[in-house]
Order: sequence, then C-alpha cells, then structure tokens
Amino acid sequence: MRSQKNIHRLKNWALTGIVGLLVSLLNPVMAQQERVLIPAGSFHSILPEVKGEPISVDSFYIDKTAVTNEDFLAFIQENENWQREKVPAVFTAQNYLQHWQESLNPGFDKIGENRPVTHVSWFAANAYCSDKGGRLPTLNEWEYSAQLMDFESIQEMNRFSTELIGWYSSVDAKNTKAVGSTQIQNRHGVQDQFGLIMEWVEDYKPIIADELSLDCGTVGRLQQLGNIYSYAASIRYITRMSFNPKTTTGMVGFRCAYNIDHPESSSNTQL
Amino acid sequence: MKVSKLMLSTLFGLLFTGLALAQTAEYTLDGMTFGMPEAEVFTEDYDGPPVVGEYVTMLPNLKPLDYEGNKHHEVRIDIIVQEIEVAEGVRYRAWTFGGTVPGPVLHVKEGDRITFYMKNRSDEEVTITEPSKGGSPFMQQVAENNYQKNKPGIMPMPHSMDFHAGTVAKDDKWRTIGPGETIKFDWIANYAGSYIYHCGTPSVLMHTAMGQHGVVVVSPKDGYPTDYEVDREYVVVQSEYYLEKGPGELYQYDFEGASNRQPSHVVFNGHQTIMHDQPLKANAGERVRFHFSNNGPSGTSSFHVIGGIFDRVWIEGHPFNEMRGMQTVLVGASGSATLDMIVPEEGKYILIDHEFADAELGATGTLKAGPKQEK
Repeated sequence: MRSQKNIHRLKNWALTGIVGLLVSLLNPVMAQQERVLIPAGSFHSILPEVKGEPISVDSFYIDKTAVTNEDFLAFIQENENWQREKVPAVFTAQNYLQHWQESLNPGFDKIGENRPVTHVSWFAANAYCSDKGGRLPTLNEWEYSAQLMDFESIQEMNRFSTELIGWYSSVDAKNTKAVGSTQIQNRHGVQDQFGLIMEWVEDYKPIIADELSLDCGTVGRLQQLGNIYSYAASIRYITRMSFNPKTTTGMVGFRCAYNIDHPESSSNTQL
Repeated sequence: MKVSKLMLSTLFGLLFTGLALAQTAEYTLDGMTFGMPEAEVFTEDYDGPPVVGEYVTMLPNLKPLDYEGNKHHEVRIDIIVQEIEVAEGVRYRAWTFGGTVPGPVLHVKEGDRITFYMKNRSDEEVTITEPSKGGSPFMQQVAENNYQKNKPGIMPMPHSMDFHAGTVAKDDKWRTIGPGETIKFDWIANYAGSYIYHCGTPSVLMHTAMGQHGVVVVSPKDGYPTDYEVDREYVVVQSEYYLEKGPGELYQYDFEGASNRQPSHVVFNGHQTIMHDQPLKANAGERVRFHFSNNGPSGTSSFHVIGGIFDRVWIEGHPFNEMRGMQTVLVGASGSATLDMIVPEEGKYILIDHEFADAELGATGTLKAGPKQEK
C-alpha cells in the first residue's frame, strides 16, 4: 500500500511538509544520522548503455535523508576552510551558502535546521562526505536506490512519474521543506530522493554527457524503460549533467554513501 | 587516504570545467558571413536589467530600424523565472527569456551582427516591472503594461538559447549553461524573415512549453515591395501552454498534455485574452503588417483574420517568398509569415487560428479599426 501513498504524496507535499516538520521536531532521534543498507542488485539505466543489459550495483550504505543545514554547520565549524568567507574560489561559485544569514549562523528561524543544505558545490559535498568516512554516491548507486520503489502497477508508476515531472517544473527553491517531509521513500526506507531537492552524485557528468546534454533530441535518445518513469529520470540526468563542480544552486544538495566494509557503517542501520 | 581521494575527485571536477573548441575563421559566401568566434562561457557579477538592446521591444511592438546600412547590436536577454498570469485565474512559475512569455522581440536588419549576452539567472529573484537604467525599450514597456502580472521566482535549471535567425554550430553557441553562468556569442542575421528563438536544453518540449521562446524579426536589406504603404506593424506570436492545477494555488507543467498535444491554452502573445483586452489598432484604408510567428512548441496554426484577406504574404518573412490574396496561412511549429492586410472599413476584425479547437482554447485577438483618415 505504500505505493498508493506515494502517488498522492507529491500532490499533498505542502501538507505533509508541515506534518513532517512536526514529526521531526517531536522526534529526538536525528534522522540524518541513519544509514541504510542497500543490498546488491541491478537496474536499467536510461543512458544509452548496452540495450537491455541491466547495470549491476554492489551493496552500499546511503544516508536515509539528505544532509541538513544543521549537519553542514557542524561540519564547517570543524573545517574552517569550508566556511563562506574562507573557501577557495576554485572550489565553489560565488553564491556558496548564500542563503545563510552569516558564515556560522544559518539563521535557522528562516531556513530551518532540518532542511537539506543547498547552495553547496560538488567539491564541498565531497569534502563533507569524506569527513564522515564516506563519499558521494555514484550516479548508478543513487539511481538504483531511487528506483527501488514498490508500485502495484505500471499505471501507478506512471501517475507517480507524472507528478514528479510536475514537481520538476515547479520546484520552489526558496521554500525547501524539511528532510523526511515528502514521505516518499524506497523499499529500504531511503527518504526524499524525489520531490525535495536534486542531489550531487560522484560522477554526475558521465562520459557521454557532452554529447547528450547539449542536444534537443536527447530525451528521445535516452533509453525508454517502457513507462514515463524514464522521462522523469531524463530530466534529472540532463539537469545534473549540465552542472559543473563549482555549481551552487538553491535546488541542489546531497547525501553521502559508504562502502560496505566501512567500520562505522554498522551503527544505526536499517535493514 | 582521505586526502588522495579528494585530490582525485578534484582533478575529475576540474577536467569538466569546459574545454574550448576550435572554430572556423570568418568567411563570406553568396554575400553572407559565416564562421563566428567561439562562444565564451563565464561568471559575472551582473545584476542590471535583464534585457538590454536598443531594438528590443515587448509584444506586439516592433521598434523601427532608424539606421542606414548595417549595425552591430549588443543585446542581452537573461533567463529569469517569473510567476505570470496566462489566463484569468491561471498563474504558473514560468521559465522565461527576459521575464515575459513569449520573450522580447528583437528587430535587426539582414546582414546585421549581433553580440549576444545571456546570464542564467534562474537562481536569483529578478524584478522586471521597475524601469531600470540602461534597459531596453522592452523594460520600459513591461513596466507600463505588465499584463502578465509578473512576480519574481526562483527555479534553478540549466538553459540555453537557440536563435533560428542565426547560422552557427549549435554545440558551441547554443550550448547549455547552468544557473549563475553567462554565455556570450556573436551571430549574423544572414537571412531576412521572422525567426523564433527558444531554449534548446532537453527536454526541449518542456523548456519551450514552460515559456522559453520569442521572436527575432530580420528585415530584408532592400525591404518589401509595399514598405512605403505600410501604416502599422505588429508582431503576433501564437503558442500553447500545457498546464494543470498544482498542489497549491499555482498551475504547473502537464507532462501528459504536452506529450499528447493536448494544450490547456492556445494563445496570442502569451495571454488568453490580452489581444481582446488590448486590441491592436488601425484605421480604415490602412495597410497593416503582421509579423506572425507560431512558436509552438507542437501545434500548427491556420492564421486568418475574420473580415480581411491578406494582400501580400511573405512565407517565413523572406521577400522572395511572396504570395497574394490568401485567406489563411498555414504555419507549422517554429514557422512564420509576414502578412500585409488592407483594413477595409471601420469596425472589428478578429485574428484567429482557424483550427477552431485552438481558437476555442484562446487563439484569437481583435484588430479594432477606426474611421478612414485623410492622408
């Protein structure tokens, strides 16, 4: 029945945002500290890989939710060189953390400690995950996790995808909701991969990006997976491909992934 | 261990910050100029008017060309997000060139050179309704007649510009730039006619439907045969919206409608009723010229004026493509026509897409004619 809920959730995300916020306020456990084990498996990429060949992905851990403003503040308190005034220009565009009130004071009353951090470059995201003993998820890991959704039928999946495309056309980067607020999660409990922000991945610009991302007809050249999910996915792939590693926008945040052999990974996991 | 991984990632990142392509040196062929310098992509601290250029106006206006020979234009049309009204009670957060849908009209002459700047400002709030120093006539006209009731918005997205009036390598000039980046390139208006411009970033259907399109009018260097008789010139753009009610008050992109060519609105000049609320004006006995463009993204238009016959039609606006005495002109997506019509008598004339399903979604407008004037 989770799938049924997923369908309506993008529609009602304004409401659920408030609910989610209340839940997160009442819940003393920091959701963002949790890591989820994603078992090995395979998925179909929309990139023009070998037709019909699914891509295998090894098991890995991934953060249950995106990294929040509060998490990122703690990180830059420990790592001065990633503070707004000190970060080297080579690692970020000018509007790095521009929505924060001050360098070490995000102004939580305005931007919320539990909202995903945005306006962070790929370099900054990398540094954060590295600091946590992790890394950014690879493109395939992120997409594989995102596709581990349970739908009862193709029609439901298409309805969900339609909502998702609608979301891509109406992202309100000024009013991002708290992590966990979308109530959309994969079957392992990874939350908000859709409907909240877009997220950095390690290799957001695959080798084929330059050829693909500049072309009107790209969408038609990407593999269709037999449903409109692939169309929604193509918007995500193409948008990501157009970034450069210094890009910092109000729509892009991140979460970290961890290798399975990582010693700290066993804590706080959900299986 | 940690350090080396970060260094590797850094190297990977730096590899992709854009490498130059060799371009072809400038050359002429059949009196036209090809081979433009390579486009430049950079970041700048620009926060001035989003539309700059002496010959850039708001629909339905066209700024007359008041110069002899050719001119080198400096034009800026920035990409900004604006919440706009497209029909009564229907507002959505549009992706725009310059702030309106369709975007500004650029008027140049065949053979003119254009140095074009475009900053992707989709990640910042830009107000377009206050007159700004150094802005184009477009900025002034929007401030005086803000019929889409603009409110600034933010929706960071990659975008690009494809001028159909330009002849260049698309992987260079029409390349996609991310939020906060600026692209600068030159192009030459080699062919006369009316040409659309639009965003070519995939999904191109979505980007165009979201509002990223406009028109460049390239007047022929030797004019059209009837130029001396033309009393008024108007630019009319037909386009479709594919919108459905979103979770809040605003409308949003209707993917299924767009994929199945089922528009929610088909409109002239970006708004369902604007050309009735603000009719085009003329007088009996005048020769009115329409620069008509169908910007799509997917529909065709069978353009007709109820009560009139087109005296001359230049298909795509090229003076060699002349037809006469046409009731209806079929214009495909991204096609255009320049049409002269003699206004027969005082009264009302209706511009219409004679594909009536489109007309009933909004593709109509009024030309109001006053009494015959002594010339």
